[in-house]
Amino acid sequence: MAKRVLVVDDAIFMRNMIKDIFASGGFEVVGEAANGLEAVEKFKELKPDLTTMDIVMPFKSGIEATREIIKADSSAVVIMCSALGQESLVMEAIEAGASDFIVKPFRAEDVLAVVKKVLGEA
Amino acid sequence: MRHVIFRVEKERYGLPLSAVREVVVPPERYTRVPRAPAAITGVMNLRGRVVTVVELRQLLHLPEGPTPLCRVVLLDRGRRDLGLLVTDVDGIEAVERVSAAPGKVMPAVRGVARLGGLGVTVLDPEGLDAAVVALFTPSK
Amino acid sequence: MTMDMSRYLGLFISEATEHLEALGRDLVALEREATASTVDSMFRHAHSVKGMASSMGFEPIAMLAHRVEDLVDAVRQDRKLLDRDLVDLLLSATDTLTAQVRAVSSNREPEQAEGLLKQLSTRVQSLTGHAPAATRVAQVTALKPATPSGDDGEGSGGGEGPSGASGSGTPGGNAGPAPGSGTPGSAAGASGAGASGAGTTEGSEASGGSASGGAGPSDSGASGSGASRGEAASGAGGAPSSLAVMPPATLMPPRDLSGPDALYGAPGARSLAVVPENDAAASVAALASGLKAAASAGDGKAGSPRWSVRLRISPNCQVPGVRAFLVHKRLSSLGTLVDLRPPLEELKAGRIPDGYIQVDVETGVGDAGIQTALRNVAEVEVVSVAPAVPEPPALPVAAPALDPARATADAGSRTVRVRTELLDYFLDTVGELMLATARLREVGKVLPENTRPALEEGVYRLHTLVKDLHDKVMSARMTPLSLITDRLPRAARDLARRKEREVELVITGAEIELDRAILDELADPLLHLLRNCIDHGLESPEERVAAKKSARGRVTVTVRRARDRVIIDIEDDGRGMDPAKLKASALKRGLITEDAAQRMADRDAFLLSCLPGVSTAKDITDISGRGVGMDAVKRVVESVGGTLEIDSERGRGTVFTLRLPLTVAVVHLLLVEVGEEVFGLPIAKVVGATEADPQSLSKSRETALLPHGNGLLPVHALEVLLGVPAAPKPGYRPFVVMEGDAGTGKVALAVDRLLGQEEVVLKPLSRPLDLLPGLSGVTILGSGRPVFILDVPRLLTA
Repeated sequence: MAKRVLVVDDAIFMRNMIKDIFASGGFEVVGEAANGLEAVEKFKELKPDLTTMDIVMPFKSGIEATREIIKADSSAVVIMCSALGQESLVMEAIEAGASDFIVKPFRAEDVLAVVKKVLGEA
Repeated sequence: MRHVIFRVEKERYGLPLSAVREVVVPPERYTRVPRAPAAITGVMNLRGRVVTVVELRQLLHLPEGPTPLCRVVLLDRGRRDLGLLVTDVDGIEAVERVSAAPGKVMPAVRGVARLGGLGVTVLDPEGLDAAVVALFTPSK
Repeated sequence: MTMDMSRYLGLFISEATEHLEALGRDLVALEREATASTVDSMFRHAHSVKGMASSMGFEPIAMLAHRVEDLVDAVRQDRKLLDRDLVDLLLSATDTLTAQVRAVSSNREPEQAEGLLKQLSTRVQSLTGHAPAATRVAQVTALKPATPSGDDGEGSGGGEGPSGASGSGTPGGNAGPAPGSGTPGSAAGASGAGASGAGTTEGSEASGGSASGGAGPSDSGASGSGASRGEAASGAGGAPSSLAVMPPATLMPPRDLSGPDALYGAPGARSLAVVPENDAAASVAALASGLKAAASAGDGKAGSPRWSVRLRISPNCQVPGVRAFLVHKRLSSLGTLVDLRPPLEELKAGRIPDGYIQVDVETGVGDAGIQTALRNVAEVEVVSVAPAVPEPPALPVAAPALDPARATADAGSRTVRVRTELLDYFLDTVGELMLATARLREVGKVLPENTRPALEEGVYRLHTLVKDLHDKVMSARMTPLSLITDRLPRAARDLARRKEREVELVITGAEIELDRAILDELADPLLHLLRNCIDHGLESPEERVAAKKSARGRVTVTVRRARDRVIIDIEDDGRGMDPAKLKASALKRGLITEDAAQRMADRDAFLLSCLPGVSTAKDITDISGRGVGMDAVKRVVESVGGTLEIDSERGRGTVFTLRLPLTVAVVHLLLVEVGEEVFGLPIAKVVGATEADPQSLSKSRETALLPHGNGLLPVHALEVLLGVPAAPKPGYRPFVVMEGDAGTGKVALAVDRLLGQEEVVLKPLSRPLDLLPGLSGVTILGSGRPVFILDVPRLLTA
């Protein structure tokens, strides 16, 4: 069964790109969220196998959202989408419970490699 | 580059394929555009769009002639719905090496090229557009 | 494999543009009041643009956005850094970014903004004390080649292949395995975009495989840990992980592993991989006990066995510091870390020689537990795990199992973006459907009586469906006014700064929606009216103070809805207009008569400002390169079926009121015929109709006069006015009496025939027709015939 993914990013552009990458890797994107608030809600509602999480977002940052998601489900797999130069933020997210991270701009194969690794499929 | 080749009487003209949206048969009657320059044949309804049709012969200041004009070449100019009234459309051909046209420089004419041993005048879509707009702008 | 980025181009353009517009708005708001939330929002916008541009491979945009982000970040740390120059700099960067995005949208490469980048870098350096970091950009080709090469007309289609291939030829430093990235051309060529996905998967699996080439069958020395492989092996066809676990008490790992041979399973380093195929139950049990062990180990109890772990961060890793931190975090959860080399601070900073990390872990989870903790971390090779002191065999562990039974996909409402051209297309097509339906009905009328009901029923049903579809399309086209009013604060700021005025702009009701087509037309007129208020309406601060007003002028834009209309008021609290001056000016230009000026009400006098030449001489706004005067404002408003009113009070201010239809104007027309042509006259402006014999009319000089009410109206033959060939029959002719404007007053138009009233959808005129004076729009009648709608006052004056 295809793994179910929640994609969180405030840019539709990024969400679409990430969605296409997941689709190409045989994943099922079951939901999207455009900010941290929505991310936590969607996570609780959808219980995805994996969540990709942008860091800089309105209303609630990706770090805060990750913290809340992990609080709700300590086995949640959250992968941060960061940019170069955000190293300290990513470390903060890892402290908050993020499983791994990918760095923008990313290539499809890099994303899928990390995701499969994290899910134990590679 | 591939060009749509068409004729005004015997004279052959070309427009880049990318600049042409489609070629249509003119309507039985046009709606006259009040106070428009003489080169404007009128407007026609093309699937709900109002297309302004310009007689290419007049736009290029060619001498008047009797040949019936039987095709409208629709330019792909974004929201501007502009059609050129021509004698007939010959087809699509690759046109190479456009050289400067002899005589007076016109913005609507990019140059001339040879095609199958015959000359063809290559038109410039933006220049045509500008020439049409110029018709409407009274020169002072 | 390279993704085909050109498919994201449209989205990039629209979303980046939105972010840049928002950034500009924030900047203007910021200057008024620097709140933390505004600065945060600016940061997000710049950050988003950078991320998108770098993904698209637009380096100039990504770099500029990155610098803006840096500078905003500096301001975020300390808002006192903000000054007017900084805002100016950021605004001009925003403008440049917008121009770059626009360049991309017309399929051009964005230009590098060298000067601006330098200025921004200097500011960043002076504010933060260090030079800004480099910007990383994906190596992709998102734009089509400017000129299709070769003589193949379908060059653009063929261009996809080569561009894709060149993209993957530069894999951004990833030393990925050959099978994935070595043959991109063929894969992309074979089946287009779809192939890229498959190729990608293949590539990543291959990378796992090549890393673990040495993993072979092994003896059952660690049968427990073998369970963990079951899951992994079932996922990917080839030995997936690069784990090289040293069974305790067998071999001590070589501590000085450094070469790739050692990493990728040199024969000397015995690697373990025992895989009793599958057995989910066993693996779950293993996982459970593994977790339990991990939990107890997490207590950090002294006396846990100590394991020596050596691992390597992949050389491809872009942020080794973060990677190392993640590893550190994973291992910390297992127990106590001792003797970490390099030390944590060095790790976090990414200072890791050759990527090798060495640490001792005191934990009860065993080597398998350690392997498991690191198994799912990407870009890390576990070189070796060995007991620092010999230990009994470890607990079996499996990869975390994931719950497969989950709720169904979200059923909430989704939104998608649709290009405006598509919406226009929908509207045009629905319009055509309506025409086609009307024609069907006409056809039905000539059928024999007995066959009609079935057809009529079908046509009726079709009509209902099409009408419903039309309503839906219209509602999809509704767009909030904020789309255009959002530009106003920035414009107000620039105008005010240029004129050295102080302006407070208040916009309310911008959430109210209008049809997209009307909105597009209104952008320039609104800007012009705003400019009018600021340039001419508002006094200088000194004048205002002298008049006992606050130094800062106020312009309000109020949008409200009144039944099927949207009303926009643009009001200033400036000096107001002088009706006498306007009348004098119009009189001087011969636009009105002395008599008319005498009798003219103030409200009409204000509208004189919309006549060409009355007050527009010094008043032409250069908006997007074309002059827009008050006459153009009025024309545009009327062309979308709206009206413009002006009210003003000396010393108190002026208010421009735009009354607009909600949707693309549905107008009532009186259709008239002259010669063979049909024209539409807006019923709203028709006073009445009458018949008279032109020969019997009295004349004043050359103009015939028609008795109307108590007076005489000037008569114009429509065929003459429009230059339409027509030979009116002698005798009685119909006359239509029309409302004029302030300059012309009422007039009577002689026509050949009155054809009746019709309700039509008004289409704005596209170039070049909009250059003709006297036409306010065009429509297509049920018969399919295009008909122009006349603007009679303009016909008379132009």
